Formats: sequence, C-alpha cells, structure tokens
Amino acid sequence: MDGNGTSEILVRLREVLRDSAVEERDWDAVAPETTIESLGFDSLTILDVLYDVEEEFGIALEPKQVVKTRTVGEIIGLLQQHGA
Amino acid sequence: MAFHLRVIHLLEYWAARLLLLGVDLLPPAAASRWAGWLGSLWWTADRPRRRVAISNILRAGVAGDPAAARAIGRAAARHMGTVLVESLKSALVLDDPDRVRVRIPDDVQAVLEDPDQGLIVVSGHFGNWELAGQWLSRYKPVAGISRPMNNPRVQELALSRRPRHGFRMIPKYDPDPGRFIKLLGDGEILALLVDQHARQGLDVPFFGHPAKTHTTAAMLHLVTRAPLCFATCRRAAPMTFELTLSPLIERQRSGERNADVEAILLALNGLLEEAIRRDPDQYLWGHRRWRRRTE
Repeated sequence: MDGNGTSEILVRLREVLRDSAVEERDWDAVAPETTIESLGFDSLTILDVLYDVEEEFGIALEPKQVVKTRTVGEIIGLLQQHGA
Repeated sequence: MAFHLRVIHLLEYWAARLLLLGVDLLPPAAASRWAGWLGSLWWTADRPRRRVAISNILRAGVAGDPAAARAIGRAAARHMGTVLVESLKSALVLDDPDRVRVRIPDDVQAVLEDPDQGLIVVSGHFGNWELAGQWLSRYKPVAGISRPMNNPRVQELALSRRPRHGFRMIPKYDPDPGRFIKLLGDGEILALLVDQHARQGLDVPFFGHPAKTHTTAAMLHLVTRAPLCFATCRRAAPMTFELTLSPLIERQRSGERNADVEAILLALNGLLEEAIRRDPDQYLWGHRRWRRRTE
C-alpha cells in the first residue's frame, strides 16, 4: 500500500464520514487501524456513507467485499484496488 | 416503564390472548368474521385512533365527506381484524393455489428464480402484507425488516404464533452495519414497509402531502444495486388474495443522494396510493402518517 496514497485517501474518507454521519465525533482521529464497528454506524446509517464514499471516489464498490472489511485501512485498500 | 403503561400492555396482551383463543376454536370463516367484529369494536372504542384515521382518509382524498370517511375507516378496522386472523391461519392459504392469485412480471420472476440474486420488496400496510412475504418465501428466504411492537408482551406472543415458512422478522436497526447488505448478497429477499412515519426520513409526497418517509429501501437499491419492486397483497374474498408485484423499479445514480432517494420513494408511494385508491378499506388508516415536525 502506497503511504502517500493512503494518507490522501484517509483525509478524503474522513471528510466523507464527517459529512455523512449523523453522530458528532472526532473524525480527524480516524486512522487506518480504526475498526468500522467503533465508528457507530448501524445497518441504516452505513448506506448513506457507502453512497457518499462511492461518489467521492467515483467508483462502484462490490457490496460483498465491503461487508467483509473490518477496519478503515481495509476500506482504503479496497478503494485503492478500485483505482482510487 | 410507567405503571399505567404496564397495565395497558397487560390488557392488550390478554385481549390478544382472547383473540387467539377465538381463532383457535373457530373454523377459518367464522374466525375471520369474529376478528372483523373485534376490529369494528376497536374502531368504536379507540376514539383518538378513529379521529386520526378519519382525518387521514379525508386528507388523502379517498372520501368526499366525514360520513364516507367514517364508513371507510370502520371497514378498514374490520379488515385489519381479519388480516390478523388470516395471517395466523395462513398455512391454509399458502398451501392452496386457488387461494392466492399471483401476478409477477417477467423481470421480477427472473430475479426470484436466480438463487444468487437478492431482491428488495417494498409494500405498505395494505391488504395482507405479511402474507405476501410468506408466499414469496417459497422462492428464497425472506427477511421482513420491522420496528418492534410497542408492547413487548404482544410482540412475543405474535412471533410465537405466526406461521413462518421461510419468512422471518429482523429488527430495523441492526448494530451490524453490513447485515442488510449481506442478506441481499446471499440472494435473500428483504421486505420493507414504506409507509410508517420516519422521524429522520425524507419528506416525500403521499397523496399530495409531504410525509416523512423511510429511505432504507431506496438506499439499499442505490448502494447494493439489488433489484427493487413493489408488492401488494389485496384481499379479494375471505381467505383469498391477489398478490401483485410491480416491474423492477430502477434508478441510475445521479450523484445527488437525496434526489435519487426521492425519485425512488415517489415511485413507491405512487404505487401504494394506486392500490389504496382502489381498495381504501384495506389500508391501515390509524397510523399518524402526516405528523407535525415536533411530534
């Protein structure tokens, strides 16, 4: 995983999370090792986030792959696989 | 829980037990009539709910005056009683091909017959919506997304009694963010009702008036690209139904989330309105669909 690319994607991902999430939290503290579970999304709120992530990066994620991810770093890896 | 609420829940629980006793003792036709009578009794006794229903019927424009609205409301209350009984005795209906006339467009049929394809099926509190879910589970497992009942005792009783087949209820808010996405990915059917007040939903016209509407079905379609259709299960005669599925509803993403969601919800609300206009006495009018913002 390219370090610089990862950092850039992480910054953009934090912005998406900040805009999409209903809950207030310190989104700047989100790191690659942060677990998805700890971000407080449920089965409904995650849908808004996924839509916005796809629009931000201009890609279509495979839902089956997305649900397998456990950390923000794995999401970043998935985005990189799709050319983000 | 407040003392008066505990008492109300206990009374509701015993009323439900009484209803079930009647259902068990009587043959289906008599049980339906009995439940219809109980629905009519409920209409007479529950004044606040009756006022909501009459107001909703008039606002929707399916009745021209309060007397006509009251007649529709009473018939709908009777209908809801029979829905409960016919859901409890659904095995009789589901096992008899003459009891359910089905209309499924080719594109939806192809999805139902593909074990790898998930499907989002949306309906409203019209006809016998639960029977629709149970019937469709002959193709693939159906998960009905629902809000738990306000009365946990009645909820437990209802879940223990309803015939399930391949149909099960799952909670709307699941702490596992990927739950619904996984079910669709596994080729299951997700069944949702679109006509409950959604505090955090989107304002979408329902009978021409803005109503806070759940976005879940639309968002699932947009995010997972799973096919989406609308279903009604109209009661044609005692223990006899017409299950109709719409052709697939498709929406290409525009990049504007709310615009995409609104377009889908408008289509779904339109199909529900069409069904209700045809049979207004088969709709649950007592739900406060058009609440003020502060409620």
